[in-house]
Amino acid sequence: MSAPFPKAADRGLAGCHTCGRVSPVALGRCPRCGSRLHLRKPASIEGTIALMAAAAALYIPSHLLPIMTVMELGAVTHNTIIGGMLTFWRSGAYPIAIVIFTASILIPFLKIAALSWLCAAATGKVHPSPAALGRIYWFTELLGRWSMIDIFVVGIMVSVVQLGNYMTVTPGPGALAFAGVVVLTMFAAMRFEPRLLWDRLDDLPAATPPNPTNPEP
Amino acid sequence: MSSWPKPPGGARHSACHFCDTLHRFSTLEEGMAARCVRCGGLLYQNRPASLARASAFSLAALLLMVPVHAFPFLTMDAATMRRNLTLAGAATSLMEEGAPILGASIILFTIVTPLVLAGGMIYVCLPLMFGRVFPGSFTVAKWMYRSEPWNMVEVFLLGVLVSLLKLAKVADVHFGIGFWAFSGVMLCMAGAVAGIDREELWDRLEVAKP
Repeated sequence: MSAPFPKAADRGLAGCHTCGRVSPVALGRCPRCGSRLHLRKPASIEGTIALMAAAAALYIPSHLLPIMTVMELGAVTHNTIIGGMLTFWRSGAYPIAIVIFTASILIPFLKIAALSWLCAAATGKVHPSPAALGRIYWFTELLGRWSMIDIFVVGIMVSVVQLGNYMTVTPGPGALAFAGVVVLTMFAAMRFEPRLLWDRLDDLPAATPPNPTNPEP
Repeated sequence: MSSWPKPPGGARHSACHFCDTLHRFSTLEEGMAARCVRCGGLLYQNRPASLARASAFSLAALLLMVPVHAFPFLTMDAATMRRNLTLAGAATSLMEEGAPILGASIILFTIVTPLVLAGGMIYVCLPLMFGRVFPGSFTVAKWMYRSEPWNMVEVFLLGVLVSLLKLAKVADVHFGIGFWAFSGVMLCMAGAVAGIDREELWDRLEVAKP
């Protein structure tokens, strides 16, 4: 079919992932910066799903296992991410509780949900609406880093609260699992190829208008 | 000069990163941006004084990294003991307490990445202002773009604030010079990253290439 908008891939041209220069994909490597050229990121869906599945598997232990252990005058308490959030909430520190809830619980969950939806749309399982999905993709790439906040808090607490017999803090296994969730979802979002969404839209039968502002006569 | 110099020859095209729509490259006035006709995604921009801004902000960020490592972020007084927080201290405590990977991630995301970004930008942009390219600039620029999403300076600062609220219950906590210097690093890094556009940087590198 003749697409209303010319695609670089249809002419054998590829925009370099690193420097953006458009060159014939047959060259293999970008003549400007030397990065490998691809029409589409290779095995993007498979890679995204694999990284996402690993992140989803780590998401549950990251919230069940303690992220840090506090020893205060001989009494040991295990802190989970949710427990820490609830402590702030009960003590009336609502903004901080909301920040922790958003960064540590909501964003990783939303990222995994959004990437699943994107992969389903990119393989044609659900209707691709690239404009909306593209915004979701951009948003997940933007927010991903903020989930690291709880890992940094653990590092800071462990470093500062070393008061001998009075009070000490040690990191827990949940922190490692949670760092894994954050890093894996970031890699998954980078692996995803948003151009596949537009490819699926162009594959749809012509009965559905591809774009309301179609310039074709 | 209204726009940056373009490399000679070759098809001047730009492909949208989101939908792969092919556009003919057009020269932009300063302060203008080109957007994709199909999806509205940003194609490229012409930001005023981009090289000067990127170099200046990066240099300021590098200089501020000295007090970041020399002074504590937080000082805590509790039960006749005084504890200081630094970036390297937080990383080494995690390593000593049995979480080496987490310690390494703090070093990577709050020390190494900002250094690569700011140092790389100075190495590439400062000579480019005079039309020169230092050896290895293309590799450095590539690593700059790769490290950008992993720069977590602002996330660490928010983490310091959350920790402060946790610690305030058990001890006397004060902000140190390190915290304010790191806030400065955050602002300078944001200014440097916002200063330059990818298309322009690579075009200039290609033109100045010996």
